[in-house]
Amino acid sequence: MKAPPEGTLRAIATFLAAFGIGIATYIAIADAGGDAPACLAGGQGCETVARSSYSHLLGVNVAVFGVLGYVLLLLCALLRGDGPRMAGFALSLVGFGYSVFLTYVELFRIDAVCEWCLASAVVMMLLFATNAARMLGYAGREP
Amino acid sequence: MSGGPAEEGRRERLIKLASAMAFLAVVAVAVLVVITQSQTEGGDASLEGVADVRRLLRGVPQEGMVLGEPRAKLTLVEFADLQCPTCKAYAEEALPALIRGPVARGEAKLDFRNFTIVGPESATAGAAALAAGEQGRGWSFVELFYRNQGGEETGYVTDSFLTAIARAAGVADIARWNRIRRGDRVLDAVAATTAEAEGLGFTGTPSFALESPSTRGLQALGAVPSQETLESALAGTS
Repeated sequence: MKAPPEGTLRAIATFLAAFGIGIATYIAIADAGGDAPACLAGGQGCETVARSSYSHLLGVNVAVFGVLGYVLLLLCALLRGDGPRMAGFALSLVGFGYSVFLTYVELFRIDAVCEWCLASAVVMMLLFATNAARMLGYAGREP
Repeated sequence: MSGGPAEEGRRERLIKLASAMAFLAVVAVAVLVVITQSQTEGGDASLEGVADVRRLLRGVPQEGMVLGEPRAKLTLVEFADLQCPTCKAYAEEALPALIRGPVARGEAKLDFRNFTIVGPESATAGAAALAAGEQGRGWSFVELFYRNQGGEETGYVTDSFLTAIARAAGVADIARWNRIRRGDRVLDAVAATTAEAEGLGFTGTPSFALESPSTRGLQALGAVPSQETLESALAGTS
């Protein structure tokens, strides 16, 4: 199957990474203010997830790592060449894998769903698909 | 789009490199998962039964210390001490069937009242439960407390323990919960329900009483009744 033009893939990845930065930044700011993100659909899922120990990694809110990851993915999307192609693929795979784990934790350990976290997981999955298509379609090719 | 043999060779090497990077990425995710799991096992979130309690109480209304449909005609009042091991056994073994049955169906409701007989820490815990009840999380607090209960009067009922229980129970405003649980109002309420239990002639925990249209006030069912007694009381056949 022929990959879409690389420019299109990079534009999609740029949009997704920027969207992810927005989501992760909102969660990180809510946590820094001693609060929890507000679930738009109502309910206490976001609060329950935010107050669980799974929301922090080595004492730092997971959303902070999310912001960092999305910024790096944004850079990979904006830059041309094999380096950004490979880095975008590897980074989005790590992000996607950890998102799958966190979604499992929400559903089966915490028994609550945070729609912001779920949205971030979907964005990360789409970023992985986009970066995988970019890497497989254009690795070794001239930008 | 396809280039010459040199470009294809470079592409092949890069795809192999990407495979290795994918493997390393999977290893990185595994490391992150292990770190997350290990920190969870050691900290406050090592609380037992959080998911179980959420599942048990999901969809059942909580108001104050009452669990169940507020308009239900039958009320089973439990006089209990949060430090009491027999009360913990009831919470884990006898009450879930009632909660999933008549309470979830809206036929009956459960009313938790403090009957502090073990020691001073019972009143501290009971006041914290009442404060959680003011944010609609009273039963979540009680159920989680039982699932993480320590030895009687061993000093485990600390601020950090109670706060961990309150957070896991879903108490949204911890600052307000702290103000209320430390105030005289809820401590007086704990003393009042303890006196009420003694007035009904109860001497042990948990003791139960039934209130329905056919009873005048509370009808004592006694201390440590069998599950069959509780079920038949809620079925209106007592």
